[in-house]
Amino acid sequence: MPSVCYYFQVHQPYRLRHYPFFNIGREHQYFDKDKNAAIVRKVAHKCYLPANRAILKLIHRYGERFKAAYAISGVALDQMAEYAPEVLDSFKELAATGSVELIGETYYHSLAGVYNEEEFRDQVALHARAMQRHFGMRPRVFRNTELIYNDRIGQVVGAMGYKGMIAEGADDILGWRSPNFVYESTTPGLNLLLKNYRLSDDIAFRFSNRGWSEFPLTAPKFANWVHKVSGNGEVVNLFMDYETFGEHQWESTGIFEFLDHMPGEIFRHPDWNFLTPSEVLDRYRPVAPISFGRTVSWADVDRDLTAWQGNNMQKGALRQVYEIAAEVRSRNNPAALDLWRRLQTSDHFYYMCTKWMADGDVHAYFSPYSSPYEAFINYMNVLTDFRQSVLRLKPHKEAVA
Amino acid sequence: MKILMLGWEYPPHISGGLGTACEGLTTALGRLRINMDFVVPRLFGEERAPHMRLLAPSANQIVANVQAHVRHAEESVAAEQVGLPVLREVSVTEILRRVMGGGAVEPEWTEVAQGAVQEASKRIRRFEIPSYLSPYLKDVPHEIRQKLLRAIERQVAGATIEETGETLVYGSLMETFEHAGSKLPPVMQSLLAASLHEGSVSEHYSGDLFAEVGRYAAKVLALIQDRDYDLIHAHDWMTFPAGVALKATTGLPLIIHVHSLEYDRSGAGANHRIEEIEKMAMEAADTIVAVSYYTRELIHRRHGISLDKIQVVHNGVYTGSAVKNYRNETQLNSKIVLFLGRVTFQKGPDYFVEAAARVIPHVPDVLFVMAGSGDMLPRMMERVSELGISDKFLFTGFLKGQDVERMFSMADLYVMPSVSEPFGISPLEAIAYNTPVIISKQSGVSEVLSHALKVNFWDVDQLSNLIVSVLKYPELSTDISTMATEEVKRLHWDAAASKTVEIYGKTLGNFHAQAGRG
Repeated sequence: MPSVCYYFQVHQPYRLRHYPFFNIGREHQYFDKDKNAAIVRKVAHKCYLPANRAILKLIHRYGERFKAAYAISGVALDQMAEYAPEVLDSFKELAATGSVELIGETYYHSLAGVYNEEEFRDQVALHARAMQRHFGMRPRVFRNTELIYNDRIGQVVGAMGYKGMIAEGADDILGWRSPNFVYESTTPGLNLLLKNYRLSDDIAFRFSNRGWSEFPLTAPKFANWVHKVSGNGEVVNLFMDYETFGEHQWESTGIFEFLDHMPGEIFRHPDWNFLTPSEVLDRYRPVAPISFGRTVSWADVDRDLTAWQGNNMQKGALRQVYEIAAEVRSRNNPAALDLWRRLQTSDHFYYMCTKWMADGDVHAYFSPYSSPYEAFINYMNVLTDFRQSVLRLKPHKEAVA
Repeated sequence: MKILMLGWEYPPHISGGLGTACEGLTTALGRLRINMDFVVPRLFGEERAPHMRLLAPSANQIVANVQAHVRHAEESVAAEQVGLPVLREVSVTEILRRVMGGGAVEPEWTEVAQGAVQEASKRIRRFEIPSYLSPYLKDVPHEIRQKLLRAIERQVAGATIEETGETLVYGSLMETFEHAGSKLPPVMQSLLAASLHEGSVSEHYSGDLFAEVGRYAAKVLALIQDRDYDLIHAHDWMTFPAGVALKATTGLPLIIHVHSLEYDRSGAGANHRIEEIEKMAMEAADTIVAVSYYTRELIHRRHGISLDKIQVVHNGVYTGSAVKNYRNETQLNSKIVLFLGRVTFQKGPDYFVEAAARVIPHVPDVLFVMAGSGDMLPRMMERVSELGISDKFLFTGFLKGQDVERMFSMADLYVMPSVSEPFGISPLEAIAYNTPVIISKQSGVSEVLSHALKVNFWDVDQLSNLIVSVLKYPELSTDISTMATEEVKRLHWDAAASKTVEIYGKTLGNFHAQAGRG
């Protein structure tokens, strides 16, 4: 009796305001409140609210057979509470149905898992408490920022009591093996759900691509592909950004109709159902152990960290934000700690990525900056002020010309 | 396909980017097996252009063309004697008129011409080319010139004046130009007339660019008798009159290539006459090629030309020649921020100075360098001293050759704050020396260069912010220059040539379709 496992990532960073060098020492407001509010409201209107309504409708229509899971970053939750409280209410309504699972992650959607273990554990705990507070449930399954995973991260997460993690079904890790089974990580008691990236990306990236040979993607066609897994797989993990619905794929592409019709097509084969990640781990035993010797993410064809730490600017910025960890953490100043953590959000480093431009390709990704260089400059100016004005640290030696 | 290209300069004797761009484009067109004759006002003998025929309209060449036609005429006369169809109107004047005018010949002129056939051809065989005709129209003795002008005024070219070899050629050429001139827009006629009547005898006129432009047009008309071309391709306003005149006389389609506009160079102080020539040529041309979308938009706005008529071909870059690094030679510990170019309105030197004043208090060991000269230089020097930053700001004056290379190579940052830059090749040179660049968004090069910092030229705050950031955060320099070096390698002339050939095809297609309908 095979299953589909839907998991959606919900995240919004605190975007920085335009912060020129000359603001350092004079201006300590780092974030662009207006822009952040406008973006959260826009995405709420185009994606979160209509998609939540669609999921709720499916739960009411199919009862126990339909399930879904979300990982909502803490910074996204905070911004919803501030700028679009109706979205938070709508997620609460979903959680109350009992058919929706909330997945754990770092509160700040950060790269702490790669750079600072202590900080990572604190951000994970902070997020778990937020889930408890808002939705009355404690996450049992964990998903790290952008599906970043390696054996070491698994070990830390396992030690925190999580029974499973969501990760990318990268080809070089899986080899001949299929993503459509539960695997055992190198940490005892921690099992892995691996993303079926072909089927996931058919929806997330290719749905409205007219150049794609399978265009248009219909619910029956997609369900047919899923059904082919019967007999040689137990679970099809469809993991994607929630903004797929209405934001990346606009409403006019028919993505909401697809969302609405696809489960019904899956259920045409009566042995198929939808499960949440926890239920998948309860239902299916791992078929084999699997080791992630390298750090994998769900980003780009490389499925690695190069989108966040591929160039010197990114490496320099990450080094500088994490090298003050002990200093900030020892201050016992919640406001400074929160500021510093918002500066850890992975998006800031993603905006500095230059690899899209390497082959002259214009990568369609959203950035508030007109170039990765401006993203770096703005971030470094803010970070320099944070060090000098908030922490009163002496100027960084490398930051002196 | 055979193209007649009209240019103003060709390396190594160049005054700006135009010659370099023409060399790059024609070299790549040559690789695509495009056959080109490229006409410049003069040649210096050091030009290397194996990919095409490089011509300057010297008296020798013009007279040689005339002689060829006379020979042809004589052969025709001989042919007639054995009963073959012949060309009857064999005066030099008429040959030129036929070749250039292409229209019907008035009957009375035919009579005069027929009578002159034998005489003219005899004289022409005795031609010796007087040294004072070389280079053509330069240094013609005053009395001969006066005689010619009088003759022309009486409009009796070839008939009543005493005809020596030289006066015949000279007079007939002038008559032809006037003939061609009558088909041209008024602005062109005045240009041609100026070149005829003023010549270049007087020192006063030798520096007059308009007279130069007019003479170039006249010489091109005299030189180009071979109508075996598919189209005319003219580069920048100085050659536009020649292009328009040729189109009028030969009927060939005309493409004009805009490397820069008068507005770019002078802004609100644009020379009205040059703008008039630009507009006249843009209206007459079959297709306009602009070096950037920025320039395309500007042509549309300044001259009201429909965007459909304007195609964009971005310039390419020459890379590959090894760049000598001089950085180790300097004992200087300061970080150098460089402005290199003409110190004129177009290049925005004033924004560079203002930004320097804001940056200097924040960066202890920075040196701003302004390399180049121009009409704004004195004002810039004054402003620097007014701002009290003279100890951190250096003026080098005009640099050339190795000094330019040395300067690029020593710089930590290159800034091009141009107010209006149709393309702008200098940032690409800076990149070849591993120097990161800040360029104004009002430039064509910003359309093709993604690995650069970009700023609106008037935004001194942001310009200062970018300058400080490059100096303060070393990772920024490293990443920008690494990526930019890779990017510049992809900006080759072959892409520009392919696009140009495509435009040739479309222009010819439209031209013949129209001719077919007409």
